[in-house]
Amino acid sequence: MSATAEAPARYRAAAVRPGPVGLLREAASETFARRRLIGYLVQADVRKKGADTLLGNLWWVIDPLLQMAVYVVLVSVIFQRKQEDYPIFIFAAILPWKWFQTSVYDGITSVTGAGGLIRQVQFPKLVLPVASSFAAVVNFAFGLIPLTALMVLLFPHRLSWTLLLIPLIAVVQFFFNVAMAIGLGALNVFFRDIGNVARHAMRLWFYLSPGLYAITELQAAGERLRVPLIQHILLWNPFAILFTAYRSVIYDRTTPDWGALAALLVASLILLMLATLLFKRAEPAFAKVL
Amino acid sequence: MAVANIDPDVPSVPSSNLPAAIQTNGIGVKYSLRFTKKTTIQRSFVNLFKHEPADEFWALRDVTFKLVHGESLGVIGPNGAGKSTLLQVLAGIIAPSEGTAEVNGLISSLLTLGAGFDQDLTGRENIRLAGAFLGLQGSDMARRTPGIIEFADLGPFIDAPLRTYSSGMRARLGFSIATSVDPDILLLDEVLATGDETFRAKSKARVVELVRQAKGVVFVTHDMNWVTEFCNRAILLQKGRIVAEGDPAEVVEIHKENSRRAKAEREAALAAALAASGGGILPPDAVGSKLLR
Repeated sequence: MSATAEAPARYRAAAVRPGPVGLLREAASETFARRRLIGYLVQADVRKKGADTLLGNLWWVIDPLLQMAVYVVLVSVIFQRKQEDYPIFIFAAILPWKWFQTSVYDGITSVTGAGGLIRQVQFPKLVLPVASSFAAVVNFAFGLIPLTALMVLLFPHRLSWTLLLIPLIAVVQFFFNVAMAIGLGALNVFFRDIGNVARHAMRLWFYLSPGLYAITELQAAGERLRVPLIQHILLWNPFAILFTAYRSVIYDRTTPDWGALAALLVASLILLMLATLLFKRAEPAFAKVL
Repeated sequence: MAVANIDPDVPSVPSSNLPAAIQTNGIGVKYSLRFTKKTTIQRSFVNLFKHEPADEFWALRDVTFKLVHGESLGVIGPNGAGKSTLLQVLAGIIAPSEGTAEVNGLISSLLTLGAGFDQDLTGRENIRLAGAFLGLQGSDMARRTPGIIEFADLGPFIDAPLRTYSSGMRARLGFSIATSVDPDILLLDEVLATGDETFRAKSKARVVELVRQAKGVVFVTHDMNWVTEFCNRAILLQKGRIVAEGDPAEVVEIHKENSRRAKAEREAALAAALAASGGGILPPDAVGSKLLR
C-alpha cells in the first residue's frame, strides 16, 4: 500500500547516539541508499553553474586556459624563468588545483546553503557535501578537454601513454577533496568565517606547493630554511605529492611515485573517516543552528 | 504535570490495541543559545574565556504521547509553546536532547511547504527532487507525478522555475507533494491557512480522506474549528509541556480559557505599570517590555 522507499520507514530518534563505528556505518549506508538524490543534486548543480553566464559551461574549458596564460606571462615573460614547455608544466598543476578549489569552496557552503531544506525534511545531510564533491569532478573532467587540445596542437612531442594514468591520481585526490568538503562543510555551520579563512589559506597553500615551480625548488627552499619540521611539512603536503604525480604523467612522461600516492591515499581515507565522524556528530545540531 | 497517556486502559486513546504509529517517551529538546547562535570564530573564543553558564532553553520538556494509525491529533498552544519543534522531532529533523521518539511508518513531513526545494528548477523537477529527498524510489515518484501536478493545478507554471511562483502556488505544490506520497503518517504545520478558498476546501477533503484511510495525522494549527471538527484527539502545549490532552472540544476550551487568562494578566500588568508611573509618560522600552511579557 505505502510507497517503496529508500529511506527507512521506521526509526527511533533518541538522545543517545551510536558510537564512532556505528556512525561511520550509518554514514556509508545512508549515502549509498541516497545515490539517486546525490545524482539529482549533481545534475542541478552542474546546470545551474552554466546557466547564468553567456558562454555557460564553456567557461570550464576557458577558465584554466586563461589562468595558465596569466602564469605564463608572469613567470616566463616577467620573471624570465626558464622551464621547457612551461604552459604544459603549469597546466598540469592548474587542473587539479582548480578542481580542489571548487571542491573546497562548494563543500563549505553545501550545508549552510541548504538551511531551508534541513529545517523542513529529514534526510542524511552527508549527501550535500558528497554531491558538491561529485559536481566538482565534472569541472575537472571538462578541464581535460583544453589539456588534450593543448598537447595535441602545440606540444605533440609530450604525448605519451602515461596520460592514461591521470584517472588513477585523480581517484586519490578525490578522496582528499571529499574529506575536506565534508569536514569544512560541517564546521561552516558553526563558524561562518570558514569561507573567509579558506580563501587566504588556499592561496598560501597553492604558492607553497610546487605548482608554479618544480619540486626541486621546494626542496632547495626547505634546505635553506634549516628547520626540519617545516621542510617535512612542505614536502609531505598533499599537493606536493599530487602536483608532482600529475606532472610526471603529463609533463615528464614517466610513471608517478606510487609509494607517495599510496601513502596519500591512506592518509586521505583516514581524514575522510575523521571528517565523516565530525560531520555525523554535528549533524543533529544542524537543524537547530541553521 | 504532563498527562502521560501510555496506559492502554485510558479511554481517550481510541483503538489503543493497534500498534503505535508514534510513541514518544519523555522527549525534551534543549537549545543551548551559546552554540545555536550563528557564531564566528572570534565570538566563540570570547565565549570560551567568559565561562558563563551556557544559556539553556528547553523548547520541549517531558512530552509523552502515543499516536495510533487512524488517529488525527491536533497540537495547539500559544506561540512559542514548542508545537513546531515537536513536529520537527517527530519528523526526525531534530534529535531529542532527552527521551525517545519511535515512529513506525513512512512519514511525510514538508513542514514549511512554501519553501520548495530548488528555486532554479521547474515545478516538475522539484517534484522529482522532493521524492528523492523524502527517500522514495524514482519509479514510484514518476508514477505519482501526474496526480501531484493535477492536484496542485498550476497550469503551464509546472514547467517554469520555482522562483517565478507566488507563495500560494508554492504552498499548493508543497501540499500536493506531501499528501501524494502515500504516507503512513502525515505531519502538517499550519498549512491549511495557505492558498485560496477552493484549494483550502480541496486540501481539507484530502486530509479527511487520509484520516479515513487509517493513516496517522498530526496537525499544528491555530484554527480551532479545524481541531474540533477533524481531530479525534488534541494536545495542548504550553512552554514546552503537555498541559492538557484528550477530547478536542475540551482541550480547545482549556486553551481558550488559558489564553483569556493570559491576556487578562498582561492587561492587568500593563495597567499596574501605568498606574505605578503615576499616569506620567513611561519610557517607551518600559511599555514595550511589559507588552512583550
